[in-house]
Amino acid sequence: MHEGAAPSAATRRRRAKARGDEGIRYPRWFWPSFSIPGTVWIVVLFLLPFYAILSVAFGTIDPIFGTAVPVWNPLHWNFASFGYVMNQTFLIGGLYRPAFIRTITYVVIAVGASLLIGYPVAYFIARYGGRYKGALLVGLIAPFWISYLMRMLAWVNLLQDDGLVNKFLLDLHLIGAPIHWLDGKPYTLVFGLIYGYIPYMILPLFAGLDRIDGSLLEASRDLGASRTRTFMHVTLPLSKQAILAGTIIVMLPMFGDYYTNDLLSKSPTTSMVGNLIDHSLNSPQVTLAAGLVVELTILLLLPMLYYLYATNREKRLRSAA
Amino acid sequence: MTQRTLDEPAATVAAPPAAGPRSGGFARWWRDVVRNPWGKPRFLFLFTMLYMIWSLAPVAIAVLFSFNSGRSRSSLQGLSLRWYTGDPIDSVFHDPTLRGALAQSLKLSLLTTVIAVPLGVAFALGLDRWRGRGSGSSNFLMLLSFVTPEIIMGVSLFIVFTKLLSLIGLGTNAQLLGLITFEMAYPVIIVRARLLSIGKEYEEAAMDLGASSTQAVRLTLLPMLLPAIFASAMLVFADTIDDFIIARYLSAGAGTETIPIRIYDTARATVTPALNALATLMLGSTMLAVVAGFLVYRYLTKGERREGTALDSFAAQM
Amino acid sequence: MHPRERRAPRVWSRRDFLKRSAQASLAVGGAGALLAACGHASEGPPPVAGISPSGSISANGGQSSGLPYPLARPNSPVTWDVYDDNQAIAPGLNAEKGATLQLFNWADYIWKKTVSEFAAKYDCKVQITTFDNTDEFLSKMRAGDVPYDVCWPTPDMMGKLVTAKLIQPVNHSYIPNLGNVWPSLQDPFYDKGSLYTVPYTIYSTGIAYRTDHVHTPPSQMSSPYQIFWDSAYKGKTFILDDYRETTAMVLLKHGVTDVNTGDPTALNAAKQDLLAMIPATNVKYDVDDYTEIPEGGAWVHQGWSGDMISAQYYLPKGVPLSVIGYWFPQDASGVIGSDIIAIPKSAKNPVLAHLFLNYMLDNKVAYANFYNFNGYQPPLNSIDVDKLLGDAVPQSLPDAIVRPEDFDRGYQLLELAPTIDALWHSIWQEFQAGA
Repeated sequence: MHEGAAPSAATRRRRAKARGDEGIRYPRWFWPSFSIPGTVWIVVLFLLPFYAILSVAFGTIDPIFGTAVPVWNPLHWNFASFGYVMNQTFLIGGLYRPAFIRTITYVVIAVGASLLIGYPVAYFIARYGGRYKGALLVGLIAPFWISYLMRMLAWVNLLQDDGLVNKFLLDLHLIGAPIHWLDGKPYTLVFGLIYGYIPYMILPLFAGLDRIDGSLLEASRDLGASRTRTFMHVTLPLSKQAILAGTIIVMLPMFGDYYTNDLLSKSPTTSMVGNLIDHSLNSPQVTLAAGLVVELTILLLLPMLYYLYATNREKRLRSAA
Repeated sequence: MTQRTLDEPAATVAAPPAAGPRSGGFARWWRDVVRNPWGKPRFLFLFTMLYMIWSLAPVAIAVLFSFNSGRSRSSLQGLSLRWYTGDPIDSVFHDPTLRGALAQSLKLSLLTTVIAVPLGVAFALGLDRWRGRGSGSSNFLMLLSFVTPEIIMGVSLFIVFTKLLSLIGLGTNAQLLGLITFEMAYPVIIVRARLLSIGKEYEEAAMDLGASSTQAVRLTLLPMLLPAIFASAMLVFADTIDDFIIARYLSAGAGTETIPIRIYDTARATVTPALNALATLMLGSTMLAVVAGFLVYRYLTKGERREGTALDSFAAQM
Repeated sequence: MHPRERRAPRVWSRRDFLKRSAQASLAVGGAGALLAACGHASEGPPPVAGISPSGSISANGGQSSGLPYPLARPNSPVTWDVYDDNQAIAPGLNAEKGATLQLFNWADYIWKKTVSEFAAKYDCKVQITTFDNTDEFLSKMRAGDVPYDVCWPTPDMMGKLVTAKLIQPVNHSYIPNLGNVWPSLQDPFYDKGSLYTVPYTIYSTGIAYRTDHVHTPPSQMSSPYQIFWDSAYKGKTFILDDYRETTAMVLLKHGVTDVNTGDPTALNAAKQDLLAMIPATNVKYDVDDYTEIPEGGAWVHQGWSGDMISAQYYLPKGVPLSVIGYWFPQDASGVIGSDIIAIPKSAKNPVLAHLFLNYMLDNKVAYANFYNFNGYQPPLNSIDVDKLLGDAVPQSLPDAIVRPEDFDRGYQLLELAPTIDALWHSIWQEFQAGA
């Protein structure tokens, strides 16, 4: 459509060459026009929603239903509801406080356990996978292709009172009576979180460990370092970035998780922040849901930005190397 | 679902040199790794295998029970297709709710892929080559959307479609718009990683031969990006079909419910193996897409990788 | 009684709305604070606003001033306004062709065959969307242009639905079967003249339990509701996922029979007791009593009578019917109610929707739906409640039958004023947060 525009491409290139400006080969509008649809899209459907959520969190409430009425003008924002959410989160005895503390506890345990289980697996595949590396990798990635909820459903089946896990334990005489796994036990929920999210931990770990040059390790061994020393002083420091990436990748969605709790526990004693948000969203209290989301965003913004900063820095280092 | 890494696409397209033994057959690998007298890899081997079993066996069992001829999801009473087609009321084929969920899941993931990938590829090209005012912010927004937890995006989109863009309202359109927003970053990041390794020489050569800028992009850049585009399309498809939060918050009733929503709604209530059958069908669709993706990927990258590494490099793309 | 003859509607201006919404936002924030202030004054956040939950607004008054909608009470029935811009459809229209009738209903609250026979009879498709609780119902109905043609609200939200024009008046010329209904429910207090709704079923709320696991059945307990705090059933105790039913049950346990109270003292005491249930029995909440009890997930479940009658269909093989128990006070001094069907204003197929309402009140259809699947009694004259036991209702569940006279003694959950509603919500919210 724009081929006819004068001057011709060849002329322009000649002129560019004459200016000694090798880089400019495309019309000025050419590349920006590629970015425009995506930029507009993301502004309308990512940035604007953020503003909308603020307008609801700082908005008012419809008198009949108690549902949210957004206030679009920031000058008229009303912070009563958000103040309530903040108070309930941070004051002792606050309504949301237990759920926040619980969520942080569960996430820390689940992320830690994922790392402890995931690291050896990633290490083995990266270092010793050999010709089966591809196949092993497929095994690692397969959970990405299986719906998270289906994987939880599988455990709901297995953990029923008369499910296979209880049958197995009873057959081995490890337990005398079926354990009610699904009656609201925190450890069932944490187990579910680990099971659900660990593939997302292992993959960046693998990517990081796989990138480590084997000759470095050989050098360390040649210089007389023991296996343990080599691991502690070469492998582990080199995989620090990957550990950080895995931790943040797993941590971010876990903070908003509500479905794992709904499927594996459903007890108020294991309610997480995600559950608070979900409950409020499915009730007239959308204002509170928005307030909680704003709070969660503030809480997670730092790790999000740090992650972006760290990957960007690493990428620059790598491309410089 | 929400979990995403910025790292994966950065993993090189060509397989990295493997640290372990490369030559020899299974017996050799077994001898070197599994029966390694130093013991450490042997423990690691065992650990990894246990992990794989733990990770995949529950799903395999769930799939197995979708073929149960009985109603139970814990004791197998023979194999049949009852929950797929046989049962005249409750099978996936006959229950309109389950059938509808399958159709909606496939529809959303296909449409999302078809729209998000071209949008993302163009965005990637623009961000890579355009270094003007605003490109930095554009890039930052895109990356931020990539790491934003899905619940934050889901709730804010819900609010937008109920309070602001209520003309669109909840339903398939809203789900589609939301999912595209959520998935668009994948093609952007994967294609940009690929662009880094391509450089500008090819386009320059094409232009020297008289190609216009559009032709240069179409005839040189796009073909070279095809593997990355393809890999990201597979990724978007597989990720969308599993999506739960956005699809759920933006759904408007039974007609727009997807498979994960059905699983969530019924998993704790009264469930027949038909739910397992539904989940298995979703798994099948994803697998089909991934295998097809792998075959095409292998074909597209035929010339540029060493023997036997297609799986590695394809996996690295995922 | 033609809808068009109703008196002119009260119109709400935008400014009115905004003013009230600002107040309400304070109230929601303040409600929890108020309760907290009652409980442990030093710990709770300071009250945000000084709206008294009971003082300024009478909880039981009919059309008291200052309320956005009248509160229907048995002794103060309400005839709802019919607005100019929300009229019933004209009589004598033909059913929509090739339509998909969208139902918005509780899960498992209608027999699939009842639905498919309707679809066959009127040559249409039927699709069912489900909701878990009344909050979800309202928030979905509020989410703009809802695609539903028929919905299942509860009488305690009539004011909200009518005032916000979320449901449309029904044209009785399409619903001759309304005559099959108990006379009291043809002209109910919550919708005089059945202008907007028709009855669906009646129910009581009692205690569902497993006779093989519960050591002392509720009927032999001096305070049956105490069973929900009995740690012998820890992990196996459920209450309903319903902000009204749960708090109402605790109020009844405390001897407060006004289950629509706005009294902060009574509500605060109920809240404390509700929260005490969590450590005592690790209680959970859902509306799946009809599967949890027969499948053994729950041993004690706050339950609805109809769910216990239908629970028999969810019993695993080899488990006898007698394991299902249901208790409701002999003198009917418990929570009792009727469910209704309505047509959303935005219905795409209003004629089919009217036909559906009429269909569900057909003596044979309603009985088949009740008898074969649903378990909730339709309030029809043709059903002799004295003959149900041992037939439609298992011999072991005599308490699950609802009799017309029970409505004279039972307590119905009625619509609350917005500020009081916020108070009730905040109790449930606190419970869900698992403090």
